[in-house]
Amino acid sequence: MRKRLKSESKGIFPIKIDQLENLITSNFENNTDVSFSTYEYLSQKIAVFYIPYQVTPEKVENLLLKPLSETKAEWSSASILNEIPLSSGKLETKLEVILEGLISGKVFIYVENEDDIVYYPMLKIEKRALAKAETETVVLGPQVAFTESIITNLNIMRWRIRSTDLVLEKIMIGKRFPREVRMIYVKSIANETDVNTMRERLQELEVDEIEDSNVLMQFIEDSSTSIFPQFYSTELPDRASYAISKGRIGVLVENSPSAILAPTTFFSFFESTEDLYMRWNAGSFLRILRFLAMFVSVLLTPMYVAAVTFHYEIIPPQLLVSIGQSRASVPFPPIFETLFIELMIELLREAGARLPTKVGQTIGIVGGVVVGTAAVQAGITSNILIIFVTISALASFTVPSYLMGSTIRVIRFPMILLAGMLGIIGIMFGICFIIIHLLKLTSLGRPYLTPIYPFRFEDLNKVLFRLPQNYQWKRFASFQPKNLTRFQKRKANEKKDIDE
Amino acid sequence: MDVNVKIKSILRIRAFYLFFIISSIQLGVGIMGAPALIFIEARQDSWISIIIAAIYIVIVLFVMLLILKQYENADILGIQVDIFGTVLGKLLGTVYIIYFAATLLSVLITYIEVVKVFIFPELNNFVMGLLLICLIVYSVLGGLRVIVGVCFLFFILSHWVLLLLIQPALQIDLTHLQPAFQASFVELLQGARSTSYTFLGFEILFMVYPFIQNKEKAKTPIFMASLWSAALVLVTTVIAIGFFSHEQLERREWSVLALFKIQSLPFIERFDYIVVAEWMMITVPNMILLMWGVTYGMKRLYKLPQKISLYIVAILLLIACSFMGQHFQIQKVTDTVANLGFWIVYVYPFLLLPLVLFKKRWMKRKERETDAN
Repeated sequence: MRKRLKSESKGIFPIKIDQLENLITSNFENNTDVSFSTYEYLSQKIAVFYIPYQVTPEKVENLLLKPLSETKAEWSSASILNEIPLSSGKLETKLEVILEGLISGKVFIYVENEDDIVYYPMLKIEKRALAKAETETVVLGPQVAFTESIITNLNIMRWRIRSTDLVLEKIMIGKRFPREVRMIYVKSIANETDVNTMRERLQELEVDEIEDSNVLMQFIEDSSTSIFPQFYSTELPDRASYAISKGRIGVLVENSPSAILAPTTFFSFFESTEDLYMRWNAGSFLRILRFLAMFVSVLLTPMYVAAVTFHYEIIPPQLLVSIGQSRASVPFPPIFETLFIELMIELLREAGARLPTKVGQTIGIVGGVVVGTAAVQAGITSNILIIFVTISALASFTVPSYLMGSTIRVIRFPMILLAGMLGIIGIMFGICFIIIHLLKLTSLGRPYLTPIYPFRFEDLNKVLFRLPQNYQWKRFASFQPKNLTRFQKRKANEKKDIDE
Repeated sequence: MDVNVKIKSILRIRAFYLFFIISSIQLGVGIMGAPALIFIEARQDSWISIIIAAIYIVIVLFVMLLILKQYENADILGIQVDIFGTVLGKLLGTVYIIYFAATLLSVLITYIEVVKVFIFPELNNFVMGLLLICLIVYSVLGGLRVIVGVCFLFFILSHWVLLLLIQPALQIDLTHLQPAFQASFVELLQGARSTSYTFLGFEILFMVYPFIQNKEKAKTPIFMASLWSAALVLVTTVIAIGFFSHEQLERREWSVLALFKIQSLPFIERFDYIVVAEWMMITVPNMILLMWGVTYGMKRLYKLPQKISLYIVAILLLIACSFMGQHFQIQKVTDTVANLGFWIVYVYPFLLLPLVLFKKRWMKRKERETDAN
């Protein structure tokens, strides 16, 4: 719609109003978006132009046009700035900045033959109200999620971390369609090397456009080919502010409802903010449960395939009888049977995500209950396999991070294939390969598996389980924050003898 | 060739990890068959042989550390060049590398054979070799830090297997170990020598030492590691002797693996399948460290980029292991390695130490003379 101008950095003023109108409208080809109106007071021509849908019309009328028409005086750019009761007015001379400004919702006022033009930003942003988190639902704790408006998001972040140490660095990314990106960290806590690495990666990124924060994340990750996400993408402000206040770096992108958190460890994808809000023992239990769920989800069906195909000696006789009975009428080898059911579950999940909410539930019931029962009765699969596949699918949904959950679901398929080809040796190969891969990964230059490797004993209690709040008086040492101590160790922790 | 090596600080590792490096390279395929081998020599006094071997290894490690301490930051390849001159030193270095490669091959084919005996009798050597070599190449590509990580994690993830020994340990017959102190001193020494293949591997210390960050703390983890692997061999040997009758034990090639057969849980009937698969986590760090030793050694000696030598060695290994399926061939490779290793690892440091000390003293005297002049 708008032609790119050759860098014309010289000022164009003073200029006749007609010429200005021609100049502006000719740059917006084939549309009449710009409203360009000319007024004449005391034989003095004043032009006001803006794009109507980008600004709030009442504001333009009440705050700009009214004072202009009511005060019968000689106007100049300086007097406009002076008289009009708005603090945001500024002067400008360059044409390209004016065109840029029109798009981003500025209202320009030009008095004929003046040396510069006055503008007021009156951007109207369409935004939705704050809503509950949809993909990362929590039972306990704050429910609010980020929205698509970066102003709202910044507002939330400032509100949650009320400190002058909070830095919200602005970086524009996108050569052709620039977009505002904010790097957020706490100056006195975040590790400086990490901040610099992140800033470099953001500044050196040369792309035409970033569609969303998840796209930006894939651009700036350490290994873009790996299946594992190396940065955390969250839509929960409390999660973001928790991580940032502990020394990590957050990145917010304009028009994206999720924040990026870095650096991240593999284990933090299994942490939920709920673990913190709950009692420490319940929280630890849930966290360990999630780790177990990950193993179950990746290994249960491959183990079934391996055991039934090759190593039925592993299965105790009684169980073997029931597996044998339920598999008696199944005409396929275990690997086909398993892949079939696993794919069906994935289909259900994908359909459930695409369909409207109400229809999705119905499809879930139809797919899960009806098709499952029918498949067993038709003799295509065995009952026991259905149980295993369902458990492993359920387990994969316990991962708080949606990205990590999908990774785990995808990993299952090569594992099933390996198990079908080489039995337990294939599974072991898969496990070894994944572990070596995880060892090689880094997140913002920091090892992905820390604090397990490189081993740091003092951090284990924040990762594998959770200690009572009183005992968590240190920050996560593996990321080397500037300031390690959260609060002074409480005296209450000191041991006392009985009856003293 | 430089005698001392300059290692960037980000590539250095903490001395604490030496424990996992040494113990994971010592515990490999050897321990699976160790009890029978020792038992043949020293009968029910095998445990004394193992203790003798452990003490001897501690002495060897002490000598090795003494040699390494004479230099600023050198590995065995550099020291040999310093002592014997460039040509002879490089030749000896090549022997070291060939020895590492032979050990690597022996571990690879032994593990493949174990998998064939216990799980898949029809398994193709090539396929199994390809899987293992994939893992080796993939982790060596990550450099020493990743290799140490593999050692560390796989050490932790594989040691649960020890819990499975509790049940056989409760069923041992102590009379199998009686009467004690019947073996003659020569038999005990022969028993100790038969552990040499099992305990081989700690010579990797000669290569990794320059990478250690805090060398002053290196002693404890090294000795602890060798004692830990000696303790494991001791425990498994005692359990195997107590659990099997003497005739059974002599006939069993991999008596330790056979111990896991009797363990069962309500949902898992036979643990030996799982243990043999789990053993991959024990052999892979072993092979990775050896592969790193081979490729890093070639880089030091011949300036061959590690990536190139890694792929070449991997392909050669793959070819070799596909043609070595017969038991007698494997036995031959293992025996050769055991013999070669005995001289290189257990005897050679004692010859090297006086030479190093002599050279250092001589250099000092020379320096003093030049100063005086």
